Amino acid sequence: MLNPVMLLALCVIAGIGTAIALPSRMELSMRRIGGVILLASGVMLVAWLASVMKSGMGGYFWVFAIIAVVSAVRVITHERPVYSALYFVLTVLASAGLFILLSAEFMAAALVLIYAGAILITYVFVIMLAAQTTPGDKPLVGVAEYDAVSRERVIASAVGFALAGVMLFVIFDKASAKTGIESRPAAVAGGQMATGDLGAYLFTHQALALELAGLILTLAMVGAIIIARRQVVGGIVNENEPVEQVNSIATPVDDNPHSIPVYGTANPRAKAYPQT
Amino acid sequence: MTEVALQHYLGVGAILFVIGLIGFMTRRNLIVMFLCTELMFQGVAINLIAFGAYNGNLAGQAFTIFVLVIAAAEASLALGLVVLLFRQKNTLDADAWREMKG
Repeated sequence: MLNPVMLLALCVIAGIGTAIALPSRMELSMRRIGGVILLASGVMLVAWLASVMKSGMGGYFWVFAIIAVVSAVRVITHERPVYSALYFVLTVLASAGLFILLSAEFMAAALVLIYAGAILITYVFVIMLAAQTTPGDKPLVGVAEYDAVSRERVIASAVGFALAGVMLFVIFDKASAKTGIESRPAAVAGGQMATGDLGAYLFTHQALALELAGLILTLAMVGAIIIARRQVVGGIVNENEPVEQVNSIATPVDDNPHSIPVYGTANPRAKAYPQT
Repeated sequence: MTEVALQHYLGVGAILFVIGLIGFMTRRNLIVMFLCTELMFQGVAINLIAFGAYNGNLAGQAFTIFVLVIAAAEASLALGLVVLLFRQKNTLDADAWREMKG
């Protein structure tokens, strides 16, 4: 029912567009042309799917799906990391909309809170901490060289869209043979799966996994604190002066019982971030 | 307005995953590379939620919660590592760590 040659052609076109649109030394106008090619292949895919599959004309689904995919493309093609992070927020919001369409309201709220709220704020903070000002050409002032030029664009696009073609073909051609998952159960579509049911399910069927998830989060928090507090020895900043690395047993930094000792420094009583 | 089929949600998830994959392979900024892994997590989460909704049980949503947990843990650890690497070489370029390859 689905022509694989057509799908292959669409994936090739989209791959060429992505390879051109990714950051490189090419002119900005050329990269815009790549974006237009990618957009055209996306429009063709949508139109083709809408004509082949008779169902699937839900307007909200298309709005959210198009926002999600277009901003995902902008995440990987924008050369400034802050804009990539903000476009990722857009992707997260659009997929939260998809979750609501699938009557998973709690997961939509959790996605917005955790991703758009917590994780993205951390990303933006790290981007600002690691910001560098580098001289660049006129349209890309302040963009570092490793952001402006990506590596292996053609091969990566070929591999990615080969995978996309295979997955889309399997999804749209083979999966339709299995009837029964074509339409959603009436209980689900009517909104019977509420947040309370999800909580009951989690704490009855998945109680142990839930506790393990909490343990993993605690471990990650402790690990992140220990990693981030470690003193960097031999970095670029103090490359000129010889640094001897002493791995002595850390002694408390000061009388404050909450301060964390610093490992791997010459002076174990040094603070990780001295007030200089 | 007819109903959206399961395949459409799976297609969106697959496309998001592939875009994240391409970004992870091409971009050289460590932070953007981790953003692209989050993009792949998004695609997987949409797949799981769609399967759960169309199968009429809550296992998909429960699994997505654990995906979110792993994503949050991964983000905190990875960003801590990125800060550590940045303090050592004063750059976010992944190619600055070429000597680590076997």
